[in-house]
This record gives sequence, C-alpha cells and structure tokens, in this order.
Amino acid sequence: MDETALINSAQQGDLNAFNTLILHYQDAVFNTAVRILGDDDLAQDAAQEAFISAFQSIRSFRGGSFKAWLLRTVTNACLDELRRRKRRPTTPLEPETNDGDEMESPKWLADSSMTPDQKAEADELEHAIQHCLDALPTEFRAAVVLADVQGMDYTEVAQATRVPLGTIKSRIARARLRLRECLRSFEELLPASFRLDGESA
Amino acid sequence: MNQRDIELLSAYLDGQVSPADSAKLESRLKTDPELESVLRDLRAARGILRKIPVRKAPRNFTLTRQMAGLRPPLPRTYPLFRLATVFASVLFLFSFTATALSPIFSLTPPEQSYFGMGGGGGCEEPCGGGPMETAPMEESAPPAAAEQAEPQSAYAEDGTRIIIESTPSMKEGETAPADGLAPETAPQPTVQEEAPVSYALPLIFLVISIAGGFITWGMYRSAQSKWR
Repeated sequence: MDETALINSAQQGDLNAFNTLILHYQDAVFNTAVRILGDDDLAQDAAQEAFISAFQSIRSFRGGSFKAWLLRTVTNACLDELRRRKRRPTTPLEPETNDGDEMESPKWLADSSMTPDQKAEADELEHAIQHCLDALPTEFRAAVVLADVQGMDYTEVAQATRVPLGTIKSRIARARLRLRECLRSFEELLPASFRLDGESA
Repeated sequence: MNQRDIELLSAYLDGQVSPADSAKLESRLKTDPELESVLRDLRAARGILRKIPVRKAPRNFTLTRQMAGLRPPLPRTYPLFRLATVFASVLFLFSFTATALSPIFSLTPPEQSYFGMGGGGGCEEPCGGGPMETAPMEESAPPAAAEQAEPQSAYAEDGTRIIIESTPSMKEGETAPADGLAPETAPQPTVQEEAPVSYALPLIFLVISIAGGFITWGMYRSAQSKWR
C-alpha cells in the first residue's frame, strides 16, 4: 500500500483511496476508541465519526504519521463523547478519604459492587485491564492508551491530546502507577506471564 | 519517593530522560530498593498494556459518498441554468407585482377625474368625492365647462391614457345638469378601466423560470443516476 499516494488521492477527494486507508487503520482506531470509552457501541460510533471527520479535514494533513493523525482524531471524538457522558450524574472516580485526601487504594479501584458473575467475566486479561482503564480519569486513560496500547511517543500523545509534553509525562506516570495498584488486585486472575512480580517486559 | 521520582522513572522506561538524568537515576536505583521496586511495577503495568489483545474492528468503517458528504459532479452549465431560473423567478415576481398594481398607481388624480366628469366641474378644490358630491354643484357647471379645454389639451400633451370618447360625455355634461342625471351618468367614461393591462411579460418570465427549474432538476437527477 502506497500510503502517501493514497493520502494525496484522498486529499483530491478520492473516496476510494480514503476507504483503503480506513481498511488499513480501522483496527487501530477502533481499539483506541474501545480502550478509552470502554464500550463497543460507543467505540464504533466514535470510530465512524472520526473517519468522517478525518475525510472532511484530510486536506489539513501536512505529512508526518498518518496513523498518529487518525488517532488524534478518534481521541478527540472519544473525549467529546466522554464529556457528553460526564454531564450525566455519575459516581465520582476519585473518592476522598475522611481527611479530604484522594483515595487511590486498590480497595476502591477493585469494584466492590461487582457480582460473582461479573467477576467471572473479569477473569480474563482483557476485562481486568479494561476494568482498570475505566477506573482511570479520562485524561490519564487517553494518555496511557495512546502511549502504551498504541505505542505513540510522548510528543505524538501531546499533539493528539493538545496538552503540554510535561503534563503528558505526568499523566502517563500516574496512570501507570494507578494501573499497577489496580492490576495488583486482579493478580490472581492474570496468567503467570502477566504477574506483576515476575514481569520483565 | 515522591511524584517527581515516579514521573522520572516512567519517562526513564520510555527513554524520555536526558543522559545526565538517566545516569543519576541509575545510580540511585542501585542503592534504593524502593525505587527499583516502583520501576519494576511501572514496567510491568506498561508491559501488560502493551500486550492487551488487539480487538478486530467489528465492522468496516468505510465511508459512503453520502456519509462523506460528497455530491455528484454536475455539468458545468448547471450553475448557469440554476442562476437563470432564480433570476427569471425574481423577475416574474417583480413584473407580476408591478403589472397587478399598475392600475392602482396609474389612477388619475382627483382633480383630473373631475374634469372628465363634466357636471362635476364645479368642484374647484380636491374634494375627493365621487359623482354624488358633485351633484349639488350643478350651477357651477358652465364655468367648469370653460375649464375643460385646458385639462383635455394637457392630457394630450402628456400622452397619457385619454379616451377621446369622454369628451362627448363632457359635452353632454353641460346639458346634463338640466335633467339632473348628469352626476350619475357622467362618470361612465371610465378612463382607467378601459386601459389594457398586459400580463405578457410576467408570463414570459414565469415560463422561463418553470422551464429552467425543470432543466436544472433534470440535470441534477441525471448526474445523480450516473454517479451511483
């Protein structure tokens, strides 16, 4: 696939060329959406919306990583969706202790409201990780998904989320720290190769 | 261990630390087991995220032309026909309105109409009334008849719509007061009503706008059917 030629054609309005690019990147775009949103249906909507938006603004693409550009578009679509959902009343993601300090213990990260059936569902690596991702604040989740799930570098993540590089570094670090705590509570569910104690990836 | 250390460790994992800071951190790691433990945990969390199963898209997200907001390529003459249609429609509206309203605006002023009424000539000031109001002025008819010559000639010079047949009625108006029927019969020469009002121009514009509309609609449909 000659990506540059396809992008040039798409910039001239060639929809077939753009659809070829979609077929190549749709898994990455959908995965980003589903990890940030934590819901298949919402992720599909966000991915579709992102591709439409990308086609309509593809003339503004000035080179560089097309994948990063697409992921930035879908991240924006996801963050917009999360902002819409945030307007509805939800359980606060970061409860405070009696002293007013932010509570980050795995006791609350490991959802105590989970039923045995739900726990059985969570007895899979993907569900456990997604559960921990969902427990992260939105900004942290977007940063860590782009950096660790999609493998973008810090600069690309900063561009995608439109926040300073220093903030991205901080968000990724804090997100990993919280994930570490959260995943520790699911450690018995993880395969041996994913045990935190013995991991050396 | 503070937040800064954790950020430094995380960036170190990703190779985002300067060589100088990296060397300092590595020396600290050798002597600080807690730092080493956090680094191990951060690396583990990152490793797990990197190994998260890649979900295949449940469906294709390819775009249709409608989704992409694309429109069929239209003939070059399409905008011309569309513009002509709009222009003809506007002209039709204007011309129709002007034609429909022309009888109202072309009514002669009250003074002029009274001159044409023969028996009403006695109304020297613009009284705005009709024949009934002029009826009591029969006695002043002779002076009015004397004044008739001037307005008649004025009409002729202006080239306005003048029906010469009204002149005999005016002449009759001189005698009409005698039998008292003049005020009612004199207004009969309806100067404005007899003037022909032509709707030919609005009709032409209407035909053009309708034809243009059909042509542009046909061009659009044809382009759409070819595009599919």
